[in-house]
Amino acid sequence: METPALEIIDLHKNYGTTVAVDGISLTLPKGAFLGLLGPNGAGKSTTINCIVGVNRITSGTIKTFGLDVEHDYRESRKTIGIAPQEFNIDIFGKVEKLLDYAAGYYGMRKAERAIRVEELLTQFDLQKHRKKAFMQLSGGLKRRVILARALVHNPELLILDEPTAGVDVELRRELWKYLQQLSKEGKTILLTSHYLEEVELLADRFAFINGGKIVAEGSKESMLAGGKKLEDVYLELTGKKDVV
Amino acid sequence: MNWIGLYTLIRREVERTFRVVIQTIFSPLISATLFIFVFGTVVGGRIDEIGGVPYIVFVFPGILIMNVLTSAFSQASSTVYFAKWARTIEELLVAPLSYFEIMFGMVLSAVVRALTVGFVIMLVGMLFGAVSMHTFPLFIFYVLGVSIVFGLLGIITGLLAKSFEQLNILSTFIILPFSFLGGMFYTLDMLPPAAQKIALWNPFFYFVDGVRFSMAGIHDSNLYIGALLITTLVIGLGAVVWWIFYTGWRIRE
Repeated sequence: METPALEIIDLHKNYGTTVAVDGISLTLPKGAFLGLLGPNGAGKSTTINCIVGVNRITSGTIKTFGLDVEHDYRESRKTIGIAPQEFNIDIFGKVEKLLDYAAGYYGMRKAERAIRVEELLTQFDLQKHRKKAFMQLSGGLKRRVILARALVHNPELLILDEPTAGVDVELRRELWKYLQQLSKEGKTILLTSHYLEEVELLADRFAFINGGKIVAEGSKESMLAGGKKLEDVYLELTGKKDVV
Repeated sequence: MNWIGLYTLIRREVERTFRVVIQTIFSPLISATLFIFVFGTVVGGRIDEIGGVPYIVFVFPGILIMNVLTSAFSQASSTVYFAKWARTIEELLVAPLSYFEIMFGMVLSAVVRALTVGFVIMLVGMLFGAVSMHTFPLFIFYVLGVSIVFGLLGIITGLLAKSFEQLNILSTFIILPFSFLGGMFYTLDMLPPAAQKIALWNPFFYFVDGVRFSMAGIHDSNLYIGALLITTLVIGLGAVVWWIFYTGWRIRE
């Protein structure tokens, strides 16, 4: 059996006495595009932070491509690219420098970094903004920089936490196109978004998380069988159907 | 070891230092120049030699080390606090860098800033005829050791601080008064007997005295105590900071 891109086994994460993640298990095959859905505070961002190393794991195991995120953290982190929901970047730094630093952290040599940064600046239409400080950019351009940074070391697993929040329609559609292209290239993608039409369009698998637990998981075909809308499935699984 | 990652971390911090060069380099340079001019030349010109050296040569090592340790402390504390505030610490946490490499990078960037400030102050000191050198290896040991100690203290302060104001508490209430009372401008025997005994418990006294011996060849304290103190602080604070990164205290939730 092929090693999965992401394997989460019985993940628990507590903040003091608050249980944020309560025994999540999830397996993502290579090349899959997973939409991780759930209401605010369900445990999506905490799960992501445990995968990438921002949060400590209370108990359980997470592996990317067979590499334990705690014991083999160096190798595991090379396989992951993360675009977080909130900007965690030096706002005074210039775009090209920010990408260059990010590539450096992953051990890329100067010549290799220069080529990759040029590629990404072109790919995300950031060439004319390369000398601008991050804080001088519009919301959409900032999102592009964050996405470019996530891809700088060419990771096999891309984790996108609300990547289109605050982005205009035009850029959102551009990003969708780009994510579809990355998926076609064989990248494994984990996407969280409150825009359900976005997840329905892009993802081929869904996992619903509520109260720190996975309440349903499966392929797009099986979950939307019989012409169901993702929004209806979401409301039903998160117990919010009666609210509407 | 992720050498390129470590080098990148240091490069980023050094470039950040030079992005605000007026605050990081010129500000201590101007302050040191004024100290050298006022206390070394104007006041010092009317003071007899101390321990066989002109007053300007006596006072210069204290001015130098005070600026070196302040720079190392400011660099490390602001780096860590800014990284927490802007959440750029997450950039490092998700990268294939070990806790030791992150700690080492932050301390080394503090040392680079401290040495840069030290170097320009030495150039100014030379213009005023304040610089002499008695034992160069010991000078390097003290300057490097003190930079590392205050770089490590800066990291701890940056993690503890909950506001920009709190960042300045240690420098205002500990570093500045203890430096001034650490024999920067006077010898131990100029103090009343009771104050002499208290001065021996001030660690800054050993830092100033050690650097003064390495430069001017005169000292008040037991130099072995100073060397032991710096070595112990480097190891002890290094272990504390490594433990902080390892456990993720105030860094990883």
